[in-house]
This record gives sequence, structure tokens and C-alpha cells, in this order.
Amino acid sequence: MKRGFHGMVARLKVTLWSLIVPPTVWAVHFLFSYLWAAIHCAKVGGFPRLPILYAVGTVAALAIILAAGIVAHLQSRVPGDPAPHEESTDSDRIRFLAFSTVLLAALSFVGVVFTAAPVLFLTDCR
Amino acid sequence: MSLHAQDDPALRAAQEERLRAVWKAPQGIFLRWTDCNNNRVGAWYTLTAFGFMLFAGVLALIMRTQLAVPDNDLVSANSFNQLFTLHGSMMMFLFAVPMFEAVSIILLPQLLGARDLPFPRLSAFGYWSFLIGGIFVGGSIFFNAAPDGGWFMYPPLTTRTDLSGLGADIWMLGLSFIEVSSVAAAVELIVGVLKCRPPGMRLNLMPLYAWYILVVAVMILFAFPPLIAGDILFEMERLLNWPFFDVTRGGDPLLWQHLFWIFGHPEVYIVFLPSIALFAMMIPTFAQRHLLGYPWIVLAAVGTAFLSFGLWVHHMFATGLPKISLAFFSAASEAVAIPTGIQIFAFIATLWAGKVKWSTPLLYASGSLAIFVIGGLTGVMVAIAPFDWQAHDTYFVVAHLHYVLIGGTLLPLFGGLYYYWPLITGKKLSDKLGRTAFWMLFVGANLTFFPMHFSGLYGMPRRVFTYPSELGIDYLNLASTMGAYLFALGTLVVCIDLARSPWRPKAVRNPWHAGTLEWLAHPDDEDWGIRSVPLIESRYPIWDQKDFVKKVDEGRFFLPDAEEGRRETIVTTVLDARPLYVVRLGTPSWVPMLTAIALGSVFILTTYHLYWWSLAGAVATLGFVLYWLWTGTAEIPEKPSKPIGHGIELPLYVSGSAAPGWWAMFITMMADATAFSGLVFGYYFFWTVHPEFPPSGPGMDGPGTFWPMVSLGVALLSWGATVGARGTNRRGGVGVARALLVVGIVASLAGIWTGLQGPLTTGLDPELHSYPAIVWTLVIWTTAHAGVGAIMQAYALARSIAGRMTPTHDADIRNITVYQHFMALTAIVTYATIGLFPGVA
Amino acid sequence: MRRIRSSVGAAALLSLGACNRHQSALSVFGEEAATVRHLTIVMLIGAVIIAAGVAGLMIAAVRAPEGRLTLSGGMRMVGWLGGVLPVVVLLALLLYSLPSMRPLPVGANDLRIAVQGEQFWWRVRYQPPGSPPLLTANEIRIPVGRTVQFDLTAGDVIHSFWIPGLAGKMDMIPGRTNRLVVRATKVGVFRGVCTEFCGLSHALMAFDVVAMEPAAFDAWLANERRPAAPAAGTAPGAQAFAANGCAGCHAIAGTPAAGLIGPDLTHIGSRASLGAGTTRMTREALVRFIKDAPSVKPGARMPAYPQLSREDAQAIAAYLESLK
Repeated sequence: MKRGFHGMVARLKVTLWSLIVPPTVWAVHFLFSYLWAAIHCAKVGGFPRLPILYAVGTVAALAIILAAGIVAHLQSRVPGDPAPHEESTDSDRIRFLAFSTVLLAALSFVGVVFTAAPVLFLTDCR
Repeated sequence: MSLHAQDDPALRAAQEERLRAVWKAPQGIFLRWTDCNNNRVGAWYTLTAFGFMLFAGVLALIMRTQLAVPDNDLVSANSFNQLFTLHGSMMMFLFAVPMFEAVSIILLPQLLGARDLPFPRLSAFGYWSFLIGGIFVGGSIFFNAAPDGGWFMYPPLTTRTDLSGLGADIWMLGLSFIEVSSVAAAVELIVGVLKCRPPGMRLNLMPLYAWYILVVAVMILFAFPPLIAGDILFEMERLLNWPFFDVTRGGDPLLWQHLFWIFGHPEVYIVFLPSIALFAMMIPTFAQRHLLGYPWIVLAAVGTAFLSFGLWVHHMFATGLPKISLAFFSAASEAVAIPTGIQIFAFIATLWAGKVKWSTPLLYASGSLAIFVIGGLTGVMVAIAPFDWQAHDTYFVVAHLHYVLIGGTLLPLFGGLYYYWPLITGKKLSDKLGRTAFWMLFVGANLTFFPMHFSGLYGMPRRVFTYPSELGIDYLNLASTMGAYLFALGTLVVCIDLARSPWRPKAVRNPWHAGTLEWLAHPDDEDWGIRSVPLIESRYPIWDQKDFVKKVDEGRFFLPDAEEGRRETIVTTVLDARPLYVVRLGTPSWVPMLTAIALGSVFILTTYHLYWWSLAGAVATLGFVLYWLWTGTAEIPEKPSKPIGHGIELPLYVSGSAAPGWWAMFITMMADATAFSGLVFGYYFFWTVHPEFPPSGPGMDGPGTFWPMVSLGVALLSWGATVGARGTNRRGGVGVARALLVVGIVASLAGIWTGLQGPLTTGLDPELHSYPAIVWTLVIWTTAHAGVGAIMQAYALARSIAGRMTPTHDADIRNITVYQHFMALTAIVTYATIGLFPGVA
Repeated sequence: MRRIRSSVGAAALLSLGACNRHQSALSVFGEEAATVRHLTIVMLIGAVIIAAGVAGLMIAAVRAPEGRLTLSGGMRMVGWLGGVLPVVVLLALLLYSLPSMRPLPVGANDLRIAVQGEQFWWRVRYQPPGSPPLLTANEIRIPVGRTVQFDLTAGDVIHSFWIPGLAGKMDMIPGRTNRLVVRATKVGVFRGVCTEFCGLSHALMAFDVVAMEPAAFDAWLANERRPAAPAAGTAPGAQAFAANGCAGCHAIAGTPAAGLIGPDLTHIGSRASLGAGTTRMTREALVRFIKDAPSVKPGARMPAYPQLSREDAQAIAAYLESLK
């Protein structure tokens, strides 16, 4: 089972496009936050007591970032080859992109948490 | 040719002779300005930007003199307003951004072991545009006509023609012109980094400077277009009286603030990251080891780029938006400090792990880091909204931004100057003068800006031409003024050092013992860029690869010759830098300069309301561009392929996503789509601010659903015809492809007519209200794009008929298909928005 | 309590040497400004510690012999000091600051003051609960201890309303009404300024702020409602005021003058400053302003009156000065 999962992960190619998946998710979530607040305040005049839509959006964003991070983490690990990985080889290039994706996923995860924090403290449109 | 052949000195000499002849710069008083070699254009670019920096610095010095004592009357309020507006605008648009592009145009080919960037003529065009626009904007102060609305030009002060004059138009149109050249340079740099790396330089071996340039150029692509969209709305209001920012007719001044700061905040990182990139090159050299945490730096650069687009409202904390919206931006503004911290610690760790060789550039680097850290920390403070409500628009912010820009842009550039001067001129600058200047600059900057934190908290607002003595900030201001003079003297010392350089002896090659490719440059400069394009196996090839310099110099790597007498460099794949093809580069020509002059005339003549003349300028621009493309691009080579050495044979023609031209089109259209989304944002922004949107009443009911839907259908037909033409042409059906192109042209032209029918038949009056104005703007944008699409389709048709485009050589139609993809997207968004959204809302 | 005392001490240190006590974000007389001052001091201390720490590390890094830091040690340093520590510190700061973004609660019975920014002065309208509004200009009085809501608008271009000692600033934007809720804590005379660049005389757009005991404030408000009572012997000035068309722009309650273009002058004699905080209120200043306002305030809408005789200007000034 694990083998199959690993195989699947290994087949996913890391590229410049996959590198920017986590920060793009952050950006989409950020835009979602901004629009959610702006439209509620401009068109509704307030927020629901329990912002379920917002919570779902945030959890979804965190989940995608986490998934991207885990996939990249699995790709970045090649046993028995210590750092630094600075050779002109396929595996080092993949490992570099994968590890950078892991780091970006961590930053994006923190970024989403930061963005969502205000919703806990500010509950009206003033 | 085998390795063995390069052992023959006579062969090497013959190769060098051919290369020298091919890369020979044009001579003569006039002809020399037609040059487009990156070494030369980059140097002009750098010098011009440096000149604008000195000019804007003098403006600041006059301001500081006025503010030295309270209630001073050295300059009038009117002059003072021009001074600070021009100081900020010039430092941002005519120094910081162009300087980064200029330095990159010089350095990037060297760093990437390329002979030149992929579009040398585009660099030249960018330079001439920059020079013309810069003189136009900067020179206005000598005619007392400089913009005076502050560098962010908030309407309605700047859009009301009774409150503002020609200066506002000069700002908008002059700087729009320069923004165009900045986007052009960004296209050049992105394609350069992605496609012109030497074989073997995979993404994980790319010099960090190239990573930063890639990131920053992509940021320009997404940051500048919203401002261009804002400029369009702004000038529509000023010149045509379309009320986008006039509240009496449904406009909203905050729309400008949004569009401006969506540009304005990323802008800060656009000018900061390239300087950090210089650190990333210098610090490994002076620590004599690889930079620690390469992926961390890449993370930081990419992360900063993304986060920086979520900060813009922190310039609008006091505009009364809902607190929760402010808080989102406050949170993101805190988060952006994280990647910045990572970069600083990666540098510290590298110095710690290595053997530090103390030097003048390193002195500048560490001094500017110290200043930058203070600016960063006050940045974290102003990102906290309640604190910003006090500090905003006071001298505290003036202090903060100057700490950031001096520590994060100016001093690193001076450090870079001392570091890279030997690379560019073959001579070292004086360590003694350099260090003297450093201490004057360092002390001067702190003496100028540190007291401003306090004058701000003691209630001194920004942009005041004087202040009353009773504020008790006289001595703080006096200290700032003395600091400013000290800083200016320090700059003067740097200039003296530069001026003495021609009389200094040549330095040795690679004087700092650096490990990266750019230091292959020889003190006795050759114009060919690099003797042979190397195979890269390390991030620091000069340190790590055996006999590397010797092998490059003896032409033992790739492309050591110019047999066909053409300027060439190697294009490789994006991820792994596998050789793809040999690209023939543009040669010196008048066309870039003439195109820049023609385009500049469009903007400048519009400023003076000379619309017919500016239309003539636009036609001339189109003519030059077509001539440029027809004679200079997608040329069918005399043979399909050529050897580049080591038994590798590369094609001389590729099309589609392998080719730089396709990438340039794709990237340009990304910028275009971003500007368009700025306009669409305007439409939905007006929806959120008006309880009833669209409004009803005569002149405001429209544009209906029928014509927008017809226009959408026509646009999709044009798109389909182009895609079909591409496919049939490739399969050899040249006749059918030409017929499809004709269908495409007709559909594009019909799209202009049907597009305008919607607002015309429903009588939408754009001067009445923001709704008809924004609908008209979207329609004009889309139909203008249809017109450009028709020209492109006609161009492809003409190329096919002239035999310059064939089934196997189809770059033209592939590139215009990219345009048509974006065109279709634009049509879908425009017509769905104006045709369907009113029904939903 | 100790925290507050230490922060007051630090604030005293900060304002050392500054004589300005009436237009400073550090000498506070309102609850909002006090909260922000506390936040400022906390952040300032944090910033000094971090700056010193980074500088210390830089010096250590340059001095350390080669190889003192291994690759993995360096990576740990980047990860912990560059990554984890900033995340923790910044998140803590964010969570600490978010609650102070909540505006003060405001009730229907609280005093509301509508202020409209004009080039380059302030139109002020008091709206006490249950009584008719009262129009004045260029001076704001507020009762200590009571919640006051400012409704901020702009007549021409964007301005920004800032009373540093009372609260943070709030922009005045055409087409919008922004709300700023404050509560003063200390009696005194303070100053506010425009902080959004608004044209030629942006630097000369200020106003006096007087925080009063509630009872004194109520008495002042009642007095302010009385029409103007010019002193005896100022009739020539009143005539000159009328004859020269001043009433086209200015209003003086109780007289035919009802212009709304310029500032209301009903009780101008009781204001401490002239021309929206530009100069002290003296006879000489009044004469100069009446004869040539643009020379005092560049770009002011009020034109110069070169044809006005010095005697007439003196008389008008005397008349205005007597309007208390």
C-alpha cells in the first residue's frame, strides 16, 4: 500500500509550476478572505455569528498546502545521500525543487494561519 | 569539432577573429547609438539611472534645506510640492526599478554564460524609452510644470482640472511610458533566465542573482499592469471627463488607491530583492564558501514575491475600511517579515561558516544590512494597524521607508558598484575613498533619518513645506538636514572615485577570487560576452570545476565559433538546461531607437492634447514595430542545424514553447491580462460601493445582453479560426490556413463593430456616471485588442504569402495563437461581465 | 500596574528634550492614543533587542574562524533563528495587537461631531443627542470622559483628521463618511492637523482641540448656541463686512451673513488661532488675513482684497475679534 502511494508520489513531477502551488493557495485564500469580508460588509452589512463558509475555506486551503508539502517532502527524500545536494543531476534538481516546495508550503501554511487570525478577534464591520 | 581541434592555436585565433568581427560594435558618432549589445546598453542604462538618482537627490537636498529651520521661505509651497513629488517619483520609477534592470542587463548574460540576452534590440528599445520618458518627466521641473500631487497622485486632488495642471498628465503619461519599458525589460529578463542558461545549469545550480531576477521580473509583470490600468482610468477622467474617481457621478477615489498600491507595495520588494541578490553574490565570495541554505533563499524570494501582493491595503489603514479587512492585510504584512528574516540569517550563517575576507563591498553590505534591519523592524511596527493610525503619513513613515530603501536598495547598489566595477571596467575602485564614502553615507543616513522617527511621533506630517516652531522639533529637523548634507558629500566622494577610475591601472582578472560565472569576464573586454558557452556542473564553477577558466578561454566548450558570421547563443530547456537550439540574435539597428521615439511621441503629444499628432505617432510606432518584426524575427535559417561542438548538432529554428519568442508573447500577455483584470476589478469595485449597481436612468441602461453575446461569439470565431489555421498550416494545408486567417481577420474586425454596438445602441453616456464609463472602458479595451489581433492575423497571412512562414517554420502563427488565447479570455470576461452581470446583480 | 508605570517612564524618556506637549502621539490625553503609546513602547523595546541581537550575530559571524559553524549547524541556525523565531514573535505581536483594533463602543446618546475637511480648513458640526446641530469651524471642543464620535467627510479632496494626543488618524474622503470614536482622559488645549496631502497649504491646515470638564463643555456649548454679540463700537466693522461682500462666503449667526462657502465666523473671537491653526488670533493677523489671505495661506479659496482700505480692514478685524 505504502509502496503504491510512494510510487504515485514519485510519478508526480516537480516543476516550477508545482513549486508555486502552496503560495498560490495562500494567495487564493487571501483573496477569498478579502472578498468575503468586503462583500459581507458592503452588501450584507455584517457577518454570521459562526462564519462557517470562512472556516471551510480556511481548512481547505490548509489541507491543500499540507498535501502539497507532504508530497514534496516524500519526493525530496532519497535515502543514503547526505547534503549538500548541489550536483547537476536529475535527482538533485528534483530534490532541490521538492525541498523548496516543502519550505514554501511551511511558509504558506503559516501565512494562512496569520491571515485567518483576525476573524477570531474582529466580528463586525466597523 | 572535437576537443582535440581546439588544441590548435591558429584555429583558436581564427575563431576569435570571426567572433570579434561578428560582435564588433558599430563605430562613429551617430552609429554607435544603434548598438544593442547588452554590455553597452546596460552601461548606458546604468549611467542614466545613476544620473537620475543624483538629480532626484539634489531635489531632496533642496527640500531638506527648506526644512532646516521652522517657518522657512526658501522655496514656495508650490515648488516644494513639485520637489517632493518628483523626488519620490524619480527615485522609484527612474532610479530604483530601471537601475535593477540596467544592472541585470549587464550581469545576466555573464552570469548565465550567454553571449547576450535573447532580445538585444528589446533592451535597446527599453533604454531609449526610459531615457525619453525620464527626461520628459524630470525636465518638467525646469518649466515649473512638474507633477505636484505626491508620488501616489491621489484623486480627486490630481484629477480635478481646477486643482491640478499639466504636471498630473506629465506624471501619468510620462511614467506610463516608462512602465511600458519596464515591462519590456521584465520580459527580456524572464526569458533570459528561463531559456538562455548554459547547458547543465539546472534550476538547482542557477546563480541566486538569476533566481532573484526571475522572481522580481515576474513581480513586475503582475505589479505594473494594475498601475497602467489605473493610469488609463486616470487619464480618461482628466482628458475625457469620464468620472471614475468623481463621487458626484458615482466614482470613488479609493479605486485609485487600490490600483496604485496593488502596484505600490510589490514595488518596494521589486526594488529591494535585487539588492539582496547582490548580497547573495558578494557574501559567498567574501566568505570563500558556498552560500548556506540555497533552497531557503529561493523560498524566501518566491515567498516574498507572493506575500508582497497581499500587503497593499496597509497603505490604506486610515481610509476607514472595515477593521477586519485591515486586519487581513496587517497579518500578511507581519508574515512578509518571515522570508526576509530567513535571508538575513542565511547570510549571517554563511559568513559564520566561512573565512571572511574583509573588503569595501562587504563593508557596504554589512552596513546596509544594519540600516535595513532597522527599517524592517519599523516596518513590522507600521504593519500593526493601531500603531499605523498614529504613524501613517507622518515623518515616522518617512524615516521607515528611507531606512528600507537606503539599507535595502541604495547602499547595496553602492556595494555592488565597488564589487562589480572591476568586472565592467577591468579596474578596481579606491578602497580608501570607498571606505571614507561609506562612513559618510552611513553616518549621514542615520543622522538624517533616525530623528525623523521622533519628529513623526511628535506630530510632524509628511509633505509639509514648513512647520511651526512650537512643535519643538526644530533641532530634530536641523539634525536631519545636516545628515542629508553629509550623505550628499558621501555620494560626491563615490562620484569622485568613479571619475578617477579611467586613470587607474587595470586590475587582475577575477580580483575577488569569486566562484561564479560572471567573473570569467576579462579586464581587456571583448564584446562577444563569453569565449565558449560552458557546461555547468556546480553552483560555483570557477571554484569547483577543474581547469574551468582555461577551458572556456580556449573555446573547449560549446559554440566557440561564428562560422556563419551571425550573433548566436544557446537556448536550453527551462528545468534542466538541456540544449535546444541556437538562436540568432538581433544586431545593431536604428529601429529600437526610432520605435521608442515614435511611441514616446504618442505619450508626450497626448499630454499636450495634440491628439492628431499623437495618432500619427501611433501609426508610426505600428509601422516601426511591423518593420522590426518582419526583418528581425522568425527568420528561416540557411540550413536546418549546426554543430556546437562535442558532437552536438542543434537546430537553428524552433517554434512554440521551445522558442524564446513564444515565451515573450506568453509573458507579455500575462502582463496584459493583469492590466485587464485591473479594469475588471474596477467594474466589481463599483458594484460593491453602490447599493444599486448598475444604476438605472437615461444614458445608464445598457449595454444589454444581445450585442455582448454576439461579440463574444465573433471573438470566439476569430480565436477558433486562428487555432485552426495553426493546425492546418502545421499539417501542410497552407491554402486552408490562409483562408482561415482571412476568416479570423474578418471576425476580429467584425468584433470591433459588434463590441461597440452594445453601449452605442443603448446610449450609454460615459460622462454621466462611473457605470457607463467603466463599461465603455472594458469594451474599448476588448475591441482595441480585437484590432491588434486582426493586425497580427494579417501579419501571419502576409508572412505565409511571402514565404517567410511555412508548415515547418511556423513561429509567427504559433505566437499569434498565444495572443488569441488571451484575446478569447478577455472577450469572455468582458462580455460576460457587461452582458450578464447586470442581470445577476 | 507596574507595566503601565514602566511604560510611562519609557515614554518620558522618549519625549526627553521635546517641548511639544500638545501635538504629540506620546503625550496622550485620550484612551485610543494611550493604548497605541503602550503598543509603541512594547514594540520599540522589542525592536531594540532584535536589532542589537542581529548586529551582535553579524559581528560574531565576521569574527568567527572558518569552519566554526558546520553545514548542519548553519542550517539549524537559519531554520530556528531565521524561520521559527520570527514566526513565533510575529504571531504573538499580531495576536497582541488585534484586540486593540476594535473601536470603542458607541451609543445613540453619545455626542457626535461631524467634521468636514475643506481646502484648507475644517467645517465642524456638533450634534448633541436630542438637540439641534451647531455649526462652527477650525476648533473642536470635547468633554473629558464622555464617548465622542467624529463623522468625518471631505468637501473637495482627500484630507486626514489627526489629533495625535487623542487617537490615531482617519482619512476624510469625498463620498464617504468615516467614523472615529474617542474618549478624552485629560483636560487641556491640544492641536490636530491634516495628514493627507491636500494641496498648496496642506502644511497650514491644523486646528485647536480643547478637552474640557463635562460641565464646562455643556456650558460652552450652550453659550456657543447664542447668536453673535458684537461689542459696542464695532458697527463700522460690521458695515464694512457687509459692504465688501464677506457674507457671500461666511456666516455669522444673528446677522444677515449666512454664506456657507467659507468658515463660520459666529464666535471667531473666542478661537485661539486664525486660518485653521496658521497664526495666533491677533488684530494684526486678522488684518493681514482679510487683506491678503493667499499670502498667508497659498492656494486658499479666499481672494486677496487689494482695494480694501487699511481702515476698513482694521474695522472688520475689530468687529470679528469682538465676536466671542
